[in-house]
Parts: sequence; C-alpha cells; structure tokens
Amino acid sequence: MTRSVSHIYLLEVATGVGVEAELRDCIEEAQLIDWQTKWQPILIAAIKDLSRRGVARAQWPQSWHWDWRAKIAQMEGLIAFKGFSVICADVTQGLMRVDLNGLGRAPGQEGKPLVYVDYLEVAPWNRMDMGQTPRYKGVGTALLSAAVALSVEEDFRGRIGLHSLPQADRFYRDRCNMIDLGPDSGVQGLRYFEMTPEQARIFLKEEDEV
Amino acid sequence: MRLERSKKWWLARARLEADTTIGAGLLARDPEPEEDLEPSVTTAVEETRIAFGRFIRLMRRRRGVSVEQLATEADLDARELLIIEDDVHYLPEPRTVFRLALTFRVSQQLLMQLAGLAVACDPQLRREAVRFAARSEPVQRLTPEQNAALEAFVAVLSQQDPKKVT
Repeated sequence: MTRSVSHIYLLEVATGVGVEAELRDCIEEAQLIDWQTKWQPILIAAIKDLSRRGVARAQWPQSWHWDWRAKIAQMEGLIAFKGFSVICADVTQGLMRVDLNGLGRAPGQEGKPLVYVDYLEVAPWNRMDMGQTPRYKGVGTALLSAAVALSVEEDFRGRIGLHSLPQADRFYRDRCNMIDLGPDSGVQGLRYFEMTPEQARIFLKEEDEV
Repeated sequence: MRLERSKKWWLARARLEADTTIGAGLLARDPEPEEDLEPSVTTAVEETRIAFGRFIRLMRRRRGVSVEQLATEADLDARELLIIEDDVHYLPEPRTVFRLALTFRVSQQLLMQLAGLAVACDPQLRREAVRFAARSEPVQRLTPEQNAALEAFVAVLSQQDPKKVT
C-alpha cells in the first residue's frame, strides 16, 4: 500500500515559532513503539500521581488507557479503517483512527456517508490536561484536517463525525463550527459532532482564497 | 492522501486550539466517572487488585527472580508485569493472568477475579484478598510473616478451583 506524507507545521509553544512536521496516512510499528515507550510511561506516571493525590477519576486524562496496538490490530485487513499519525522531531505526536462506514445524522445530512473519527489522541506532552505547558500545538487540528481531507477524497464532500472527549466540546463547536448533536446516550453520554460539506469547505480554505 | 496547505494556514489552525486538549473516541471515558459507578463495586475491585499486584510481586520475589526473568519465564511483557505490581487501576490482559496462573500454579478463575477481569468475585476470596493485602506490605526482603501470608493465600487460590487441571 502506498503511504502518503504531507508536510505540515506545528506551533512550538516554548519558542512560538512554526516547526516542520509530517502528517502520514498510516500508523506503523515505529508509531506504536513511540506510544509504548514514550507516551505510556508519562501517562502511567501521571495517573499514579493523580491517584496518590486523590483526584477523582473523572478528572483524569480521558484516553489514558487506550491501547493503540490493539486498535491498529483490529484494523488489519479492513479497508474501511485508516490510521493517521503526526511526526515531529522523529517522535510520534498524535494518532488517529477513522472509519469510512459512518453515516450522517445532522439535519440535511441524514444517511449520507461520512468519515467517522473513531479515536484521536495527542501525545501526553502536547496536552493541557496533563497539567503542563504543551510542547506543540496543532497536532489535534492536523489530524482533524486529515479526516476532512480524506472525506473529500472519498467523495464524502468533507463530512466527518466524532464523539468528543468532554474537554474538547467547545473546540469542535466554537472553533471548528461543527454541529453539536448533543450527548449520545449510547456512547457514555459523549457529545456527537458533525461537520457538513459547507463547514468542511470553510475549514480547509486558505485565508486568502475567495 | 496528501494535504497541501501553507505554513500560515497550519499555524493559524494550531493557534485555534488555544488551551484545548483535542481528543475524540468511542468509549473514551474509561474508566467511567466515579459518580456513574456503585462505590461499593469500585472499592471491591480496587481491594482485590491491590491483592493481585502484591501477590504477583511476592510470588516473584519468593522465586528470587527479577521482573524481566519472570516475564521471560511466563512469556509475558516485562512492562506489563511492572505495571501490574505497581498500579492498582491497571486492568491486565486475560492472557497475562492466564499465564501468571499457570506459572504460579494457582486457579485461573480465582486469579481472574482477583485481577478484576471476572465480575463475580466471591465474598470469601475478597475477604482473603483484603487480609492478604493488609498483611503483606512490601519490604526489602520477604519476611517470615509475608511468607506465611503468601503461603496462606496460595492455599486459598489453589484449593477453591474445582476445575483446576494439574
């Protein structure tokens, strides 16, 4: 299978400058090793610290237990699933798995095909909810952009859907202008968001495009 | 799929993130928020998991092997063994518990319950688990008391499985 690499830029928070990075339409063994050896020790240490300090579990990073190796193994041989990764400074900065079997629920989009974002996670050092200044900003947005671009490529006209982690609800609603379809009782009460073709067009538009 | 945008575009999008941690995922809120769980259920699971981690640690130490050596012997990932010994919230893989039960020659069913993988934890096992955990606080070397606690718990785990294959 051909792998594509898009050259992107992330914002390095410490310096405030843009740094080159790669957006790849795959998750390979190197990414899983990064997840295991670089992400997991930080997440586990953070969870232990939160536990010791008696912080309620509801306040813990909400994806701390995700097993990316298992998620990728589930995709094997299934063309409806795709993985994406963001690499910067030779280290995996974010991962996403999408499902091409999604169907629209938003008014006017019901039953139309969309790219459903199964899982999207950024590395622990890029997360505000780990109680530190993130190293890079833009990783989550880059992955979301990939989902929208894939939807365009698949002739889904940019439609995407996702269940948001609670701390990101406002981002999807206010910054990405996605439609908030409210809490989904079938998915642990997570809010479901959708991006319509028109919203996708605006999302992907260069600022100087007409 | 290739996405070509200007540097200005990418940085503008990055700034939009502001102070948000972006994430998405089906079944993402796991473990469930505490308010959604029966407190007694949470406590019971945590009690037995403390005993599970401590049991694995003491059995390993009694054998005089390192985590790495036990991992090799049981055909397991050393990293997962380390987490099992230290993290009360960690839910091990069923295969891991199966391999540990084989290695230590104790009941697979009861060790599954102790690890929190089997829902029905019988009250007797739970009492014994709490007793064991309370008596076996880890120290540098295995004391006779710890050894006695471990022996007693091994006996409990070994005797209660009617389907145990020797």
